[in-house]
Amino acid sequence: MDSGVTLAFDVMGGDAGPEEVVRGAAALTLEKSDVSVVLVGDGAAIDASLGKVRHQAERISVHHAPDWVRPGEKPGPALEERPSASILVAAKLVAGGEAHALVSAGNTGAGVLACARHFQLLPGVRRAALAAVYPTHRLHGEKQDPFSLILDVGATVGVTAEDLVGFAVMGSAYSRIISRNPSPRVALLSNGTEPQKGPPEVVAAHQLLRALPGIQFVGNVEGVDIPRGTADVVVCDGFVGNVSLKMLEGISETVMELARYAYKEKVLWRAGLAMLSSGIKRLKDLTDWEQYGGAPVLGFDRLFIKAHGRSRAHAISNAGKVAARAVRHDLAGVIQAGLKA
Amino acid sequence: MSGERDVAQASPRRIYRWDLDKTYLQTEFDSLKDLVRTALQEAHEKRAVPGAAALIRELRSRGDSWLAIVSGSPTQMRAVLQEKLLLDGITWDEFVLKDNVRNILRGRFRALRGQVGYKLPVLLESRLRAPAEAQEVLFGDDAEADAFIYSLYADLLAGRVDDRVLSRVLEEAGVYPDDQARVRAAWKALPPADPVRRIFIRLDRRTPPAAFARYGPRVVPVFNYFQAALVLMADGELTAPQVLRVALELVQTAGFNLLMLTNSFQDLVRRGFPVADVAHGLVQALEGPDALLAALRPVPDIIAAFSNRVAALGATPPPLPPVTVDYLALLADALPGTHKGRRQP
Repeated sequence: MDSGVTLAFDVMGGDAGPEEVVRGAAALTLEKSDVSVVLVGDGAAIDASLGKVRHQAERISVHHAPDWVRPGEKPGPALEERPSASILVAAKLVAGGEAHALVSAGNTGAGVLACARHFQLLPGVRRAALAAVYPTHRLHGEKQDPFSLILDVGATVGVTAEDLVGFAVMGSAYSRIISRNPSPRVALLSNGTEPQKGPPEVVAAHQLLRALPGIQFVGNVEGVDIPRGTADVVVCDGFVGNVSLKMLEGISETVMELARYAYKEKVLWRAGLAMLSSGIKRLKDLTDWEQYGGAPVLGFDRLFIKAHGRSRAHAISNAGKVAARAVRHDLAGVIQAGLKA
Repeated sequence: MSGERDVAQASPRRIYRWDLDKTYLQTEFDSLKDLVRTALQEAHEKRAVPGAAALIRELRSRGDSWLAIVSGSPTQMRAVLQEKLLLDGITWDEFVLKDNVRNILRGRFRALRGQVGYKLPVLLESRLRAPAEAQEVLFGDDAEADAFIYSLYADLLAGRVDDRVLSRVLEEAGVYPDDQARVRAAWKALPPADPVRRIFIRLDRRTPPAAFARYGPRVVPVFNYFQAALVLMADGELTAPQVLRVALELVQTAGFNLLMLTNSFQDLVRRGFPVADVAHGLVQALEGPDALLAALRPVPDIIAAFSNRVAALGATPPPLPPVTVDYLALLADALPGTHKGRRQP
């Protein structure tokens, strides 16, 4: 009796509240006939939401967890205080084999910490990495994905060369499976393209990656290459990755603010923006993070997909699809094989 | 047809009323193409909803029941529909189809799609032929107005609907005067009784279950017939082995697995239907010698799965409170087409 893929959704953490997570998971059960979901969180809130949306009850179960970690809370103390927090309970269910992967739109630190407590690091992985996707000029892989992957963006500060090599292997495997990119271009983020540029661990990682089979290492890239999409996978430590990602988000928001300002400022500019509106909308759709759904935490024996905190149902559903695809293609196994090589 | 029994000689303890399309049969009639294909299908090409045939067979196995079929399918399909039932090993006591040719010839175009004016008089007239003590369980779906009509029928029998409400419903639903007269005549002739125990609504369109909350706990929206069987077991209508035989049909014909069965079970518990206690009976039946149930083993896994589903909820939700159905507020559910947009209360 094959049960397909089962995903545990931490229902409580997202900014939009349990209803959006429940709606997204419910939609997934209608769309994907081999996906079942465990909704972890306040049972009454889940049932109130579930009762209002179309769903496939045979593919949904609820696991009551009375507590949850708020978005701004410090993860360590919050999880200590609340062992029944939904993210901890969901991670435990995944670790215990009741689900194959975890999806959460909640507190990122709490999610990573919950995984660290209940999941095992893959042999050869010293540190897990939080990956993120970002829109690029260039399209990637069989899906013509407008997103590249950058990791680590915050799980680890202070890495060794071996950690960076591990991130490269994990990111490459993820890109192969999720973006259907058979040979993703992997690069190290540095302050110059020359091999000797950058801090010692980056220089050392460059040498190791050059010699590593099974990965298309294209050398170092600079910050300017990130939005260009020069590489499909950009590898860096968590500090640099987080700063880079936040800057990309900040630029995007500033551009939108400028457009709003221009719209209000002059009738002629408004007319120009109106003429460009369909193109802008297409661009927005193309680079809409909701399409991608979520970003993975890589390195554990079980998968955790971190959905954006602002995720609504559509993004949650897409995060579930990403998780299901990763499970079906045995992402952990592929990463492990890559690390052995 | 040889499947029809002589109603006049039977004295049933239970009456099971079933709709056909989307309740018993997997029928598509959302487009003209679907309609044509359905009309041209032969009996062996028609597919029963998984678990429906097993459930009817188990309900009928005690031999003290009627099976009354009331369907909106046209009378021209009688032979093929009856043949399908016989192929599935099902016999019936009443079989009523909609005479839409007659409706067209008489220019009664509202009646072509209207359900209240068709089903309500048929149900009430059928009840006139039933023993007063016979209790009823009704089966319909969310594609049409079954929840509304069945509930109205139940409350008319029980005297919970007054003439003012009935008149308004019949008018708003566009019921023709002669059908209104049939409803009133049958209703007046029936002795007061409260025979309808349950109304199962199969969620063919996956209508959110809360959309039926205003009909009260008598109406049980179900995603599959294992859920119906569980509720019927809790009601004392079925035994544990009978429920497991329905589950078995779902496993063997519809790809159900243990996860889907336990999720279905938990779904009912969460919605406040009193099925948590039936798990013990199911376990006992599984541990018994019934060779047919071998496909549902290993027993310890099943026991653990059902126990886990209940334990995962923390506290079991309280049972649903009784509800007085406000038919005038629910009138939109009775009108052709409008129920399709039903999403939430």
